[in-house]
This record gives sequence, structure tokens and C-alpha cells, in this order.
Amino acid sequence: MEAPPDNDVLWARALHFTHRDRTPGLNGVSLGVRDGEILAVGGPRGSGKTTLLRCVSGMLTPTKGEVWFNSTPVHTMRPSARERLRRERFAWVGPEPGLVPELNVWENAALPLMLRGTGRRKAKERALDWLERLDVGAVARRNPRELDQAQRQRVSIARALAPSPTVLFADEPTAPLHRADRVHVLRTLMTAARSHDITVVLATNDLEAAALADRVVHLLDGRRVSNAQLPPAAGTEGRAACSLSV
Amino acid sequence: MLALRLGRRSGAAVQLRRLMVAAASGGTGFLLLSSLGHALAHPEAPGAATVRLAWCAAPLAATVYFAVAVARTDPGTRPRPGLSAIGLGPGRLMAVSAATTALSCLLGSTLALLFFLHLRGDLTGMPFDDGAAALLAAGRPLPLPATLTLLALVPLIASAATAASLRPREAGGLRGAARRRIADARRRDPGPGTDDDGTTEAPAEAPAAETAAPPAPTAAPDGLPWGVAVLVAGLGVAGYANRAGVALTPDLSLVPAGLLAGWALAALGLALIGPGLTHLCGRGLQAARPGAVRLLAGRVLMAEASRIGRPLGVVAAVAALAYALVLRYDLGGPVLGPLGGLGALLVAGCTAATLVTAAIEVRQVRAETMLALLRVGSPAATLRACAALRAGVLLAVFGPLTVAVAELASLTPGG
Repeated sequence: MEAPPDNDVLWARALHFTHRDRTPGLNGVSLGVRDGEILAVGGPRGSGKTTLLRCVSGMLTPTKGEVWFNSTPVHTMRPSARERLRRERFAWVGPEPGLVPELNVWENAALPLMLRGTGRRKAKERALDWLERLDVGAVARRNPRELDQAQRQRVSIARALAPSPTVLFADEPTAPLHRADRVHVLRTLMTAARSHDITVVLATNDLEAAALADRVVHLLDGRRVSNAQLPPAAGTEGRAACSLSV
Repeated sequence: MLALRLGRRSGAAVQLRRLMVAAASGGTGFLLLSSLGHALAHPEAPGAATVRLAWCAAPLAATVYFAVAVARTDPGTRPRPGLSAIGLGPGRLMAVSAATTALSCLLGSTLALLFFLHLRGDLTGMPFDDGAAALLAAGRPLPLPATLTLLALVPLIASAATAASLRPREAGGLRGAARRRIADARRRDPGPGTDDDGTTEAPAEAPAAETAAPPAPTAAPDGLPWGVAVLVAGLGVAGYANRAGVALTPDLSLVPAGLLAGWALAALGLALIGPGLTHLCGRGLQAARPGAVRLLAGRVLMAEASRIGRPLGVVAAVAALAYALVLRYDLGGPVLGPLGGLGALLVAGCTAATLVTAAIEVRQVRAETMLALLRVGSPAATLRACAALRAGVLLAVFGPLTVAVAELASLTPGG
């Protein structure tokens, strides 16, 4: 087993992943994430971005390959240890805000802190602080249902950032938003991460979003490629083999 | 056919729930047939036969209630994108649901008929042939129209109730003023087209939620004041009927009307206050600087008050009745006789099973939130602690309430 380079906070080698229904997911992806950098994982839909993020963040175990976090192997960890690692070091923002509908906005943002045993008063302070920074401080006492999607997504980012994670995984965090909101949400996320030295792994198929990152890694059909442009359409050869008559 | 094809591939738990519906329907069908048998055996006393038939209403209601609860939790007939794509929307799935319920109940009714004929001695060749011949009027021909009518009761009522409870509603199942307001708002502004499939419940609700801001999910259900009023009225009526002391006969054919009305009102009151009381439990649980566990447990209880509270109130009512019958009137199991015992078992079993099914429904509804919670890293132990806390609080509130209602309703004033 080869030890990872020292300056990488996350390091994945030759990740293979096959879904339970035998759909291929990843096909030998290697990846190194340096401390404090913002890494964008680009590629079209279905190219394996989400699967890669899930494997690296310990939500899924890769079929083959290794994942290291700060020189500790994640792929050999027991489920409970992985759960603790995810709770204490990682944070996740998905395309859906995934807020708990029964709690109000600040309680949602404070929930991960309270789950870690932080006292209620301190958790509330931290949550309100982060909500303020992400421009949703004014709606801290409202119910998530009363907010619009961009506001909810910002609450979800505040919830992820409030416990000061080492690595933030953002899986297409701006997918359901319009472009104006998209840029705003993404910029606040990036600025917050840079000012607090949080490493970000961002999956996106949006070139503008990728341009905000320090480095971009492209995936195509579960493989790492130098850029995600599709090869030009094939010529006429081979078409005759397809006996399609409609 | 579609109902069968959709139903065939569901999991063991779902099939077990359907089998339980069939069993309940079979038990109720058997009770109905037994009352027919009693009427045939005693043509000179139509009054007693009518009372027997009337007592069948309790198991019938419990069975229908249970069948509707099972149909609501059936994952096979839930609106989903795949079926919506081929044109099976909520309307058609309602029909499928009703058909599935009718099938389960018909299976039960058929078994009840076979068992009934077997016990009468009409079908021979198995043990217990004509084991209850005297009770079930053996030797007299069974009138076919009456038999079919009685056996069709449960399937018809159950599938009609299922269809009524699952009929597609606009604005995500809200009623009254809230529904009209949201429908109006939607007409003015069609809302963002992010989720235009409109199949699963949550996306269908989302545009409406954004245009008209529905009440918070933790809003208090109404009905608590009405429930308390009805409950107190019921206790009063029962107490008044009890004033001279009442001795009930084992076959329950001579219950004073006042006592019956009092008990019915008290039971209705308990069912009515169930949601409100559950909401209050949740409110109390999350009051005063809660940590993560109390906060989650309390708020979930508040949000699911109407789903879990109604069956809980019904179970409390049945438990109170059982408590009073056994401990106050000395009408324990053997005194009631086989048919009375079967009826009591059906009512108790169906209401308890309905409560369990409601808990399953809550779990299904909250599955997505649970996933989100696990994704932010909540330990599974915390979520289990939340569930245990909720159950404990409900038990601690509804248990004493049940005993108190039972004691008060069977109290003899001045005695």
C-alpha cells in the first residue's frame, strides 16, 4: 500500500465503483486534493461526479481503489468510524437543500453542531453568525418552506459551514437555481471557504462555476480526461450496422 | 389485473399487512354471518337478532379503518413518476388502491363463508365438522341473497372508504380555506416550473408552497376543544346512566341506552383529542432550551400529530372500553362467549394494527428527511433515541388518560 503525498488532504487512487445493478460508475479515477484548495470536478451528467464525491467522502465504499484522508485510509475504515469522520471532518451540500421542514432556519443551521454535542446557546450563535454572512440572517426565524430555493440553498451551505469542517463536498449546489442566484450562491460559498481555509470539492457541469475554482478535473464516463469536450461525431462508417427502421 | 400485477411484487411486510386486512375482513364477515345464523335459528325474536347485527358495526368500523390505513401505506399504489409517465396518475392509482383493498377483503369474506359453512356442517371432511351447529342454525337452508349482501358489506365499504381517502386532491391534501387559498394563488400564478411531473407528493406541493406559504408543518391541529367537550359530555352521560349502578349481561344485548351513548361520546371525544394532545406532547417536549434529541423528537411529534394522534386516540378509546369492561363490569374473555370474544379481538386488533400502520406511514413520509439528517452526519443512535423519546412521552400521556377515562365513565356517582 503506497502512502499518499504529504501535502494532500484527500487522496484517491484508481477508484473503481460499480453500482448494485452492475451499472459502471467509476473506472479508475485518481485524485489528489491539496489543503485549502477549491477543486472543481467537471463533466456532463452521468459522468460519475456524484459517485466520485460519495466515494471520496466515505458515503460509498469503492469497489476497488484507495481513499486517504490526512494519511489515514478511509477505504478500510469500519462504518461507524467512517460515520464519525464524516460527522466531524466533512460537510456535504447537495443539489437539494435537504433541510428538516419542522425546524426553523437557525435550528436547521445549528443542528449539526448540536448533534456534535455543542451547547444550544453556542450553536445558535455560530449558526446565526453564518446565516448573517450568507445573507439569510433576516429570515433566521422563518420556516424553510417560506423561503425561496436560493435562500434555502444558502441555509444549507450555512449548515455545512457552521461546524467548520475540514473538507466541504458540494455536489452541484447551484443546479436548481437561476443564473443570477447561481453566481451569488457560488461566490459566497467560495469566499467563505477561502476565508476560513476550508477545502472544497465541487462537482459541477457549469463552466462558469468551474472557472471560480483553483483547479478543474474533468470526468467523462467514469474516467478522468484532460477536458470534457466530446469527440466529434463519428463518420458514416459503422452506421450501417444499426438496423433501425422507423 | 393491474392491481394484481402491482400487488404481486411487493415486499413481505406489505403482503403481511394485506393478509391482516383479509383476516380482519374474514372475522367481520364471519360475525355478520353468525348474526344471520342466529336470526335463522330464532325467527321468533327479531329484536335480539337486530341487536346482534348492530353490534357487528363495531368490528366492521374497525376493519374498514384498518383497511384504509393499510391502503394509504401501500407503496405499490403510491403515485410515482414511472407510472405517471404511462398515464397512471393519482386518479387511476386511487382506483387501483380501491381494487386492491376490495381484493383483500373479498379473500377474507370468501374464507369466512367457507369457515362458516364448515362449522355449520355443510362442508364436511375436515376436523370440527358442525362444531358449532347449534350456534349457527345448522339444518336450515342459508338464504343466498342475505349471505351475499352481508359478505359484500366489508369489501364494498372498505374500498369506497379507500377511494374517498385517497382521491386526488388539489394543493396536496389541504382542506377548506387553506386549499381554496392555495388553489386561487396557483390560478393567478402558475409557479416556477422546476418540478412539472407533479407525481410524487412533495414536488406537487412545492409550487403551491412557494406561491401561498401554507401554514407551518408544526401548526396545531384543530379539534382539541371539541374533543374535550365531547369527552366531558360523554363522561357526564355515562355517569348519569350509571347513577343506580348497572350490571351488564354477558351477551351485551341489554345495555342501557344512556350508558351506550355516554361511552360512544367518550370514545369519539378521545379520537378527537388525539391529534391535539399529541401536538401538545410535542410542544412540551421541545420547550425550554432543547438539545438536538428533544428538538427533533418534539418537532416531529408536532408535525405528525394528525397522522399519529387520530389512531392513538382510537386505541386509547378501545383500551378504555376494554379496561372498564374487564375490571369494572367483570366481563372478561370467557364470559363474552366465542362470538363476543371474536368481536372484541377484532376491534382491539384492528385499532392496534392501524396505529402500527400509521407509524409506518409516518416513517415513509419522513424517509427523505431522515436521509438528509444522516447525510449531515447525525448518528443513527440519536435518531433511535428520538423515536424512543416520542414513544415514551406518548405512552406516559395517553396511558393515564385512558385509565382516567375508563374509571370516570364507569363511576357510579354517590355509590
